[in-house]
Amino acid sequence: MAAPAQLGLQNAASPIMEELIAFHDHALMIIFLISSLVLYIISLMLTTKLTHTSTMNAQEIEMIWTILPAMILIMIALPSLRILYMTDEFNKPYLTLKAIGHQWYWSYEYSDYEDLAFDSYIMPTYFLEPGEFRLLEVDNRTTLPMEADIRVLISSQDVLHSWAVPSLGVKTDAIPGRLNQAMVASMRPGLYYGQCSEICGSNHSFMPIVLEFIYFQDFEVWASYLYI
Amino acid sequence: MASEVLAKPQMRGLLARRLRIHMVGAFLVSLGVAALYKFAVAEPRKKAYADFYKNYSPEKDFEEMKKAGIFRSIK
Repeated sequence: MAAPAQLGLQNAASPIMEELIAFHDHALMIIFLISSLVLYIISLMLTTKLTHTSTMNAQEIEMIWTILPAMILIMIALPSLRILYMTDEFNKPYLTLKAIGHQWYWSYEYSDYEDLAFDSYIMPTYFLEPGEFRLLEVDNRTTLPMEADIRVLISSQDVLHSWAVPSLGVKTDAIPGRLNQAMVASMRPGLYYGQCSEICGSNHSFMPIVLEFIYFQDFEVWASYLYI
Repeated sequence: MASEVLAKPQMRGLLARRLRIHMVGAFLVSLGVAALYKFAVAEPRKKAYADFYKNYSPEKDFEEMKKAGIFRSIK
């Protein structure tokens, strides 16, 4: 989750998110390059009394300011497409999880296991234990095995929602009548927080997501415990 | 008495000269800003991730978290 007053992206817990952070740094570097150039030129234009009012033959500069932006765009597009194709890679998933959006909670189904399904509502503030996070905790966390590729099938039972977990680099729309697939993998154990990311009504801000990544053996114990 | 004749000042091409100098300056400044971001932010961040994972032990991390009691799924 984000630290108070955090401006940047959250620390990556998956390889895809690490790639996205590096790409964000690359794109932001280009943004700073262009913005500083434009700001310099604007201040240049505002600090002179010299003028030139007759039309000019501007063939050379027109070539420069067409080709240079095209090259910059290619420099942005190539790494972007590389990551896009990386996110679409279908590695044989270990587990499939269905995340279904409702107004205003998420429900999860582990169809690989018989009858393993539960709803995940926000934990109201007055029920929070010390150290827990306001508006981010849920009553039933989504437990998953770490260091495993997990296929998440996302849909909705009513209106549009979006299942997002920033530190894993996932944000996928939950559309009624449609199944969207996302791949999730965490390199580290721990808790990863997210929030609904598509406006869905009055309690849109109050349907968070908490993923609890643990070792596979402990996950199997947890899954079998839930059958009882 | 012959009076001193001042040299004729530069009267043309002043804007073009200013633009020539400052275009180079503008590109240098913007490339400098980009290089500053790359070497002060982007590269240290990549190194920080590499250093973190060099000696990272998921087992040790997991045991510490388990001992701290943050997991609800593990009794």
